[in-house]
Amino acid sequence: MKRLLWGALAVLVLGTGTARAGSIGVGFFGGASVPVLQDDQDDGSIYGVRIPVKLVPLITVEPYYASAQLGDKTFDIAPGITVTREGSEVYSYGVNGMLTVGGPLNFYPFVGMGVAKYERSGQEDTFTSFQGGVGLAIHPLPKLGLDLRAELQAAASDGGTARKLLNITLGASYALFSLP
Amino acid sequence: MRTLRLAALTLSLGTLATTGCLLLSGQFVVTYALPDPLTLVAGSTPTGVGVDLNTISEYGDHKDDLKRVDDLALIGDFHNGTGGAANVEAWLVPSATLGLTVTQVMQQGVLLWGPLGIAANATEHVDWNRSSGLFKGRQALIDEVKGDGHFALYLRTSSTLNLTMTKGAVIAVIAAAK
Repeated sequence: MKRLLWGALAVLVLGTGTARAGSIGVGFFGGASVPVLQDDQDDGSIYGVRIPVKLVPLITVEPYYASAQLGDKTFDIAPGITVTREGSEVYSYGVNGMLTVGGPLNFYPFVGMGVAKYERSGQEDTFTSFQGGVGLAIHPLPKLGLDLRAELQAAASDGGTARKLLNITLGASYALFSLP
Repeated sequence: MRTLRLAALTLSLGTLATTGCLLLSGQFVVTYALPDPLTLVAGSTPTGVGVDLNTISEYGDHKDDLKRVDDLALIGDFHNGTGGAANVEAWLVPSATLGLTVTQVMQQGVLLWGPLGIAANATEHVDWNRSSGLFKGRQALIDEVKGDGHFALYLRTSSTLNLTMTKGAVIAVIAAAK
């Protein structure tokens, strides 16, 4: 399955390079990162950078890098015994593919994959991550875009389990190069 | 153009299919409180306690779907009431046999955690984060958590006769998937 996804992604990225030109930009984002079914982590924050590349109509390819700091979690084990585990720092990078249309306001779905690294005291795990979600973008100026996204990121480990995060982010992007 | 659309569709469906399987998984924290206080005795008879994770509902609820052990900890407050420094070790005996001698523990068990150095008349607080750095036999505990969940934990000290452990617990973060 991973091989198929990487292959599809390669075709997508390489294919766009030979297609009609569009724009290349840079964007920054930040927001909340909420663990899903992870009892050992609490809510945290996320920020990062994206490079939206639009070379064909409808499709935008977007390499990204993100850093999330999840919150500490406290457990009451027994009367008088309380323990706190620090939240993980999650570093992730990869590529998203989005179905985008032009115009001042648009709603778009996206999927992607990459690498997610979870780090905290005594624990360091690197996973292949899969993510998907929806975004709402507005373009107050032709080169400026503001977007709100909801993304579910699943960092897959061996054995068919995953550490999942729901990321809600606000972002801004600017088209550095716009080609006809 | 058609190839691109096909690739995008394949990527989308593949990602959704993969994440769909992974969505039905989660990380659950299993905690097991040890007897409190626990007195550590030096010499030929180490202090042993039975640990049966099957008595913990979080473990029982997810044991059949357990795929992975993500994190482990052995926490507690260790007080050395003597005038000399001491080292504490935790050993895991998979057979869950109690009443073993030091020699038998070392023959049948695995060094799980330690040594933890404790100064004279001092108390060392070992929390989850600190405990992570003390593990030596992580795989042995993972095997037990993924196995029958029943084992013995032996605490062994170097030389002192007056050392107590309070607020002790074993913690495991298990990953389960349907």
